[in-house]
Amino acid sequence: MVKYEDGPVKWMVYPSIFFMVLGMIYGVYNSFNTFIFPDYFSGEYIHFGRVRPVHVAQVLFLWLLSANIGLFYFLVQRLCGVRLWSVRLAKWSCGLWWFSLIIATFSLHFGTNYGWEYDELPMWVWWIPVKPLWTLSWLLVVINIFATIANRRHEKMYVSLWYTMGTMVWATIVLFIGGYTFEFLPGGISRVNASFFYIHNLVGLIITPMGLAIAYYFLPKLADTPIYSHRLSMIGFWSIAFVYAWIGTHHIIHGPVSQWLQTTSIVFSIWLFIPVWTVVHNIFYTLKPQWNKYSQSVPIRFIIMGTLFYLITCVQGPLMALRNINEITSKTDWIIGHSHISIYATFTFFAIAGIYYVMPLIVNRPLWSERLASWHFSLNMFGSVFFLLSLWIGGFLQGVQWSNWATGSSYADFHNNLSLVSFLQTISDMYFWWLMRAIGGTIILVANILFIVNIYNTVLLKPAPQEVLA
Amino acid sequence: MSEDPESPHKMNSFYAFFHRVEASAVMTFLGVVLLFSSAIGVTLIAPRYVDPTWTEPSSIYQVQMYEVADPNTYISSSMTGGTDILYLHHIQDGYTLLAFPETEVFRIVAPPELEKYITRYDDPILKLTSRLLLLRKPKGGGTSFDFDAAAAAQELLLKLRSEDQHLKSSQTTQASNDKKTETDKKIEYDIYELYVPEGSEAFSISDTGGILEEWVDSNFTIIDEQLKQSYHASAGVIYVNNPKEFRVSVTSLGDKTVWDIDHNGEKVQSVEQLRGAPFGFRSRQELIKYGERIYAREGCWYCHTDQTRTLVQDVVLNGSESFPAPPSSPNEYIYQEVTFPGTRRIGPDISRVGVKKPSRDWHKAHFWSPKTSSRGSIMPSFRHFFDADPRGTGKQVSGVPNHEFEAIFQYMMTKGTRITPPTQAWWLGKDPVQTIEIIEGRKK
Repeated sequence: MVKYEDGPVKWMVYPSIFFMVLGMIYGVYNSFNTFIFPDYFSGEYIHFGRVRPVHVAQVLFLWLLSANIGLFYFLVQRLCGVRLWSVRLAKWSCGLWWFSLIIATFSLHFGTNYGWEYDELPMWVWWIPVKPLWTLSWLLVVINIFATIANRRHEKMYVSLWYTMGTMVWATIVLFIGGYTFEFLPGGISRVNASFFYIHNLVGLIITPMGLAIAYYFLPKLADTPIYSHRLSMIGFWSIAFVYAWIGTHHIIHGPVSQWLQTTSIVFSIWLFIPVWTVVHNIFYTLKPQWNKYSQSVPIRFIIMGTLFYLITCVQGPLMALRNINEITSKTDWIIGHSHISIYATFTFFAIAGIYYVMPLIVNRPLWSERLASWHFSLNMFGSVFFLLSLWIGGFLQGVQWSNWATGSSYADFHNNLSLVSFLQTISDMYFWWLMRAIGGTIILVANILFIVNIYNTVLLKPAPQEVLA
Repeated sequence: MSEDPESPHKMNSFYAFFHRVEASAVMTFLGVVLLFSSAIGVTLIAPRYVDPTWTEPSSIYQVQMYEVADPNTYISSSMTGGTDILYLHHIQDGYTLLAFPETEVFRIVAPPELEKYITRYDDPILKLTSRLLLLRKPKGGGTSFDFDAAAAAQELLLKLRSEDQHLKSSQTTQASNDKKTETDKKIEYDIYELYVPEGSEAFSISDTGGILEEWVDSNFTIIDEQLKQSYHASAGVIYVNNPKEFRVSVTSLGDKTVWDIDHNGEKVQSVEQLRGAPFGFRSRQELIKYGERIYAREGCWYCHTDQTRTLVQDVVLNGSESFPAPPSSPNEYIYQEVTFPGTRRIGPDISRVGVKKPSRDWHKAHFWSPKTSSRGSIMPSFRHFFDADPRGTGKQVSGVPNHEFEAIFQYMMTKGTRITPPTQAWWLGKDPVQTIEIIEGRKK
């Protein structure tokens, strides 16, 4: 029996859970201090524009990406049937990872924002080249994962390994483009276009394949059942590979970008229905023979509901790319809802499910409280629905208000519409929905505080003797 | 996905890795790499070669604003701790184009060899030159010793007055009852002397307000022996109108050094002197770049989009009372390091703010307290753009804007004001894409 190395899993997963909760505290702070009591706590370092990127960098990189790497360390060893290629390398990459990423993230408070969305992390903080160090750390992860796969004993590669390898290649390219190439492009729209390529593929070609690798690995494990169709999962994999790189421009539909490029991105966006259908079908049919396990296992609930949210995300995404729907939804709170359903309600749910599965195995003792885990799921679901619906409804209503400015036939009509409902009025009208969002966000935060308590106690509390696993 | 432990011997190998991947998978993988690179080729690399608006400027005015005017316009921090602000032109011999047009009450005297540079009151052709010349109050004995400017000015004044008298008397004979007050009122003439200053550079106070610059694209001529700069050959040029030398007096108040404009004071010798204490000027180019950095750093772009989309709602939102704003075009952004089209609009779009809100005072009040300035706004206040010490970042609550305010303000004022020359501006109804025709004629 191979003795797997679970140290690197812990080094990545434990801090990431802490940053998930801290990142959510930042989010809740923003939802109140910007939208409910605007600028109540006021000042250079804590106003919305400085706090938002710290929230985003925490939940995106310090939590989700880090946790996913930790889970990759876990599942790649199991799928290959060998130990991690180099624990020392993993130690170095973890050290560099947290050192560079924590400094880079929190330096945003002090004005180091690079200015590109999801790409705010600076190149330098004082004399520390944080971004190169972070990139180096990522490359060490890539080397370690590929070397482990190269040494594998199981000849057949499970779909999660495909997704893992895909992530390693795509993420390297995408992070490189986002981090180092903009300065070499002509100023203006060329850089904007590259930035939207980066934004979209950060989610589409890094977070998505990572999350799907995790869902595809942990669901069969948790339910103790084979995957419904390996072939279907491969169709999903290759269609993701085919589609995502083309669609970055759909973030700037109607914007100052060539029309043919917008149309290209819209066409490829529609193709996204293929990967999402394969994934959803596959996951649901895997569990179909034993639906009762849904009610018995918290992590299975997280994966199934995450898949449902994934379905919603990926139906929304292509539709929002259509010009006429984009006219209503774009630039409203709908967009914020859309980004939260993918990053939070889909891939965070998958990662949480993975963590629930791996924790008892890597610390060799049972989960501290199943009951608390159950509460964690229920509150998360409830909070998410509250949170997402309020953003969608509010954003949609705001989009309709804006589009009403275009009713009439002459410029005088349009201008009159604008004077009847001013821009600021459409902002004030959002108050109720923002309040709902803040309440939903608070519920989510409470849920995840339960999670961190549960994990903390699982790791540190002395287990009752009868519960010790053989 | 099984975990059954097979033979524990470790297969070495790099080769085994490829060996174990089926040939079809390798082919597929190569195919995906091909697809991925073709996606990058088409969506990231091709557009700027296919679509010229991605790299070519929107107008020669835009080019000259960024490349000629901005580096040579210097902006003060507030003088003597006050709230006033000063714009200076940095004039260089053989580079900056100057014009000396007269108006009805503004007249110029000059020695005969400089006469040709003056655009006389009734002359329809604007005369420009890149020779360094300046205006000053007429002095007895200029650089050319045989020309007495003071005497010439006196002579000109008498001549103008007698012409007026002549005109008036002809009018009074026509309407004789209507007299006294009108006949006694003299026109106040402002007479300046054109002279050749020492050195090859000078500074003059700009009265353009800093958002637009003097621009001529018809009925002008450049009186230079040869073409000095390539931009002088453009169909239109930015120029400096009637420059007068910027002179200052510097005084010490205790340990503090203050300065003020003084026509009889010292001249500022160089850019270095102007940038140093106690003046602390910065070029508009630096301020715009710094403003862009501030816009990035403060996260303005999370709430304010910077694009007028090709939607009726957007061109109306950013339009004026009578004209819609033209939608944003890629070439508006080509001089920016970072461009912020944005994904969320919780604050008004800023792509036309230089036209919609050009008031420096409005922005000052708004940054200090947005919720007071705009009812219903959720914008945080930016009081770190203000302090008592115009150069520092002190925390005193006194509301004197510092260079951070000046930078963000200058950055915003580039928005929507530089697409076309002021003579062809959309806010005059000369929209290059005819937005109003498009939106009024669109299909129902």
